[in-house]
Amino acid sequence: MTALGQSLIDALALGSLYALIALGITLVYTVMGMMNFAHGEFIMLSAYALYVFAGLPFAAAVAGSLLSGIVVALLAERVAFRPVRNADLSAQLVTSLAVAAILQNVVTVAVDARAQSVETPTSISESTSIGSISVPNLEFVTLGLTAIVLVGLGWLLYRTRTGLAMRAAAENFDMARLLGVRADRVIAIAFAISGALAATVGVLIVMQTGQVSPTMGLTPVLVGFVAVVIGGFGRMFGAVIGGLLLGTLSSLLGAYLPEGLVAFRDAIVFTFPVLILIFRPHGLLGGEIGKARV
Amino acid sequence: MSGAGFRSRPSVAASLLLPLALIAIATLVGTNGTPSLHGTVTLILCNLIVVLGLQVFVGNSGVYSFGQLGFATTGAYVAALLTLPAAFALLQTPGLPSFIVDAQLGSLLSTLIAAAASGLLAMVVGLPLMRTSTLAIPISTFAFLIVVYNIVANWDRVTGGSSGLVSIPTTTSVESAGLWAGAAVVLALAFKWSASGYRLQATREDEVAARSIGINVMRERLIAFGISGVLCGIGGALAVHQSGVLNPTTFYFGATVTTMTMLVVGGVRSVFGAVIGAIAIATVNEVLRGVEDGASLFGAISIGEAPGLAAIGLGLILLATMIAMPNGLSGGREAGELPWLRWLGMRASASLPESYGAEPNRRPVDPAVNGALRAERISLAFSGLRVLREIDLELEPGEALGLIGPNGAGKTTLVNVLSGFQEPDSGTVTLGGVDVTARSPTRLAHDGLGRTFQAALPFPHLTALESVAVGAMGVGVSRRRAAAAAAEVLDRLNLLEQAALPAGALPPGGQRLLGIARALAIQPRYLLLDEPAAGLNEAECEKLVAILRSVLEDFGCGMLLIEHDMSIVMELCPRVQVLDDGATLRVGTPEEVQADPAVVESYLGSSFLVAADA
Amino acid sequence: MLELREIRVSYGRTEVVHGVDMSVGRGETIGMIGPNGAGKSSILRAICGLVRPSAGEAAFENRVLTGMAPEQIARLGLALVPEGRHIFKTLTVAENLRLGTRSDSEGAAWMEQTLERFPIFRERGHQRADRLSGGEQQQLAIARALLGRPKLLILDEPSLGLAPKTIDVVYELLQSLRDEGMTMLLVEQNAARTIDFSDRCVVLSTGKVRAQGSRSELQRNPDVLRAYLGRQP
Repeated sequence: MTALGQSLIDALALGSLYALIALGITLVYTVMGMMNFAHGEFIMLSAYALYVFAGLPFAAAVAGSLLSGIVVALLAERVAFRPVRNADLSAQLVTSLAVAAILQNVVTVAVDARAQSVETPTSISESTSIGSISVPNLEFVTLGLTAIVLVGLGWLLYRTRTGLAMRAAAENFDMARLLGVRADRVIAIAFAISGALAATVGVLIVMQTGQVSPTMGLTPVLVGFVAVVIGGFGRMFGAVIGGLLLGTLSSLLGAYLPEGLVAFRDAIVFTFPVLILIFRPHGLLGGEIGKARV
Repeated sequence: MSGAGFRSRPSVAASLLLPLALIAIATLVGTNGTPSLHGTVTLILCNLIVVLGLQVFVGNSGVYSFGQLGFATTGAYVAALLTLPAAFALLQTPGLPSFIVDAQLGSLLSTLIAAAASGLLAMVVGLPLMRTSTLAIPISTFAFLIVVYNIVANWDRVTGGSSGLVSIPTTTSVESAGLWAGAAVVLALAFKWSASGYRLQATREDEVAARSIGINVMRERLIAFGISGVLCGIGGALAVHQSGVLNPTTFYFGATVTTMTMLVVGGVRSVFGAVIGAIAIATVNEVLRGVEDGASLFGAISIGEAPGLAAIGLGLILLATMIAMPNGLSGGREAGELPWLRWLGMRASASLPESYGAEPNRRPVDPAVNGALRAERISLAFSGLRVLREIDLELEPGEALGLIGPNGAGKTTLVNVLSGFQEPDSGTVTLGGVDVTARSPTRLAHDGLGRTFQAALPFPHLTALESVAVGAMGVGVSRRRAAAAAAEVLDRLNLLEQAALPAGALPPGGQRLLGIARALAIQPRYLLLDEPAAGLNEAECEKLVAILRSVLEDFGCGMLLIEHDMSIVMELCPRVQVLDDGATLRVGTPEEVQADPAVVESYLGSSFLVAADA
Repeated sequence: MLELREIRVSYGRTEVVHGVDMSVGRGETIGMIGPNGAGKSSILRAICGLVRPSAGEAAFENRVLTGMAPEQIARLGLALVPEGRHIFKTLTVAENLRLGTRSDSEGAAWMEQTLERFPIFRERGHQRADRLSGGEQQQLAIARALLGRPKLLILDEPSLGLAPKTIDVVYELLQSLRDEGMTMLLVEQNAARTIDFSDRCVVLSTGKVRAQGSRSELQRNPDVLRAYLGRQP
């Protein structure tokens, strides 16, 4: 019973992390219709900020990381994505691939191709006991952060005027503009939030693994894509569900796979969404691909 | 591979110069160059083969796959394991079955087996993937890439794990790489110009129009995916037999970006583009790497070693290309389609295929299909709005029925239901007594139902001749016969002069006529035309009437005409059906309908009745 | 107030509007009619900035509109109620309305007045907008446009897909707006009401203006009927 409880919390924590990644990708997708390959590099760069600010108190480093994520996202939008905003989906996808490659290699050049270790507060790696279950503190942090993010995002989207504009732009970009919603501003805000989410994920990953490497963003971005696809394109709720499902699957497989197959966990996890797509080509919750235009 | 009359002989010859040039250069380097030059050129050629694999799928389908290098990895590992000397195999891959360890195959055989293995994997993986949507394919192929990486990096006992394999026999010579590259170019061109290649290109140009001429999108994508897998596998196998080492990251993300850059910079739609892109980017890569390694550029300045600078440079080039030059260096054209042929006084595209004038292929009369097209009590509502209300309609082969009514009356929606693009909420559509209500547009095209669209939906990058011929290819006609049939149709529609022009260059009236020609190419029993005269001037309208009349007589098809131009309706259609607000208002002769007060009122209101009478 | 000079609109290589001149004076209600494919919607999209005219110029109160972004044009005081209404189906009625206002503070008083005019939305504020009937959606779209206090109201096919009785309701609303002095540009494919309703009508077909004038002038003009039911002149 305790083992199961332990596994469930582990699964929930991992699922939350994946949900955060998926949310960041979905946010940009809903306003731009683009699946952003470079999101993984937003995560990676924010993580490297922790490495760069290693001398500072941890809280300051985290703040620096958050700022980095937002700045990188805004820069990428302004420089690379705005010129191709009206191009077709394939062109946008390849552009985001280019941005990802550039960012990855900038870090390789500026720092090193090899992984670097980052010190994190020791309290994070300890565990706290609840009853008979021992939960790593990091998982508390993850769950707590995710809850805060979901509440915060929900408040922003459903209680503020800006969020209203974003939801309207997500449904029908042209109509929103006809009502005076500023396109540039809405997209910039979406990217900024996406960058902040990426930073959150980056910090959590560093706290988990204790290191950063230039290619650390590849698996998370794939996880995010797959979660979005499972949950249904363009739905925030779907992204969360997709992330939780994927995280649960991954975590449970990690705990219960036989010895010889554990290393292939990722391969199994990523084959799973293909099966879903065969039966539900628009994702579990169904979604619209492409955007409504006036 | 004559191009079946779609391109002139000089053009085909020019395009074939490319593989010959590659072989020639490779042989030249092989006999004269230094060993390090051999190595570089061989690797460039291997890269080229992978890029060609990418081009076959991405270029022709318009869908991006980020997983093709997973097939290169597959091919590389298969080839490596089949040729690894027994002593090394025992050390690095203890889990390998002995029959593989003992099989020390030669370079050619191992490459062929690698190609087969990759191709097979591509078909297996492609089957579920090609059924997903156009946006899900890039993501699922990306997932495939990472899955392959994961398996190969963790299956230590068979693949050597993340440290990879060494001491692989280096059996690829420059000359053999040149030969393989030349063969790959020929294969890519042959596919692009085959019936299957044309059908796939049609789906890239306009998926809706492609479905309406009987093309099975998923099947065509799968075929290209398979060929792509084979080519990528060959590239991987040859590369690994040049460098002698292999690890899971050899053909992973970095290589994906590099090959994608090569393809995009060269021009996605063209095989020639893939080649020049590969060579151009490889050269740039070498230059950038030279800079990285500390070469002094301007004497006094020396730049220190910086791994990754070359990759940044490539990423920037890819970015710049997407923003400024999306069609790439080749502009999507093949070697034989570039302007230089014109300077030499030769045409690139053919207007008349060699087989023109021969008896065109007539669809045999099928009694089952020859019955009437009938719609009974069709009803349809969109989010609460009732668009079609219990509509009946009947069309016999050889008769012309006009469908008129104010905008929003449901005419196009009805045609969408008849042609399989929309399923009604209730009611049935039958063809010769057979219930076809739920059939897809693709299937209906094979059953002999053709249609045009309100927007012309051209295939902009195919020539007029190709655009029409692909209609015939959609229903299974061979390429040669399709070209002849297309020429005949174009002649009938007075478009033969424009046969060699890209469809996107035709004026709007011409594009609409081309859409009609394309629908005729499937040899339809029923032709549904959605406002064919919209945008045509008076002279063009007269010609259209003559054309449609000859089509009625010669093809014997049933024609449904949505039209606002009553003069056309009056000349062609003995029977007219008026729709208003989703229901049939009146069916009768054109004169009856035009004089019917209810019809005038539905268009212009009662105040006009008074004026009309005055 | 609104002036169009030699407007041409192309989609890719295809030109659909071949040089149209038009003007809308303050307080006027101008109708634009013509069969499908005449180019009416293209002209509206060009005015509102959704598409850039390939030639020609649109000016609003002597400010050139061509080249401005749609949101800037909206803020100048032009409100478009597009064909198909395009209310935000995933948002509630109240949220749809709120989007129409420039800012919450400014909009509060005006919102009250608007809700007086459309009492039904006061009750159903919390419902998702896709639960409304076609006619209610049309009214919502108009209300939303009005909340921006536009100087020029442009409606693209407001009667499309609506039952005759509902169209009556919508046109009563438009009449009351007109009585209050609103300047309106009305595009309809179905000419009947528009000719009756508008001060002047412009008849378009195949991208060109075929006829212009008041109702009595148009009724005497055979080109009008021909544009709909006969050969294109």
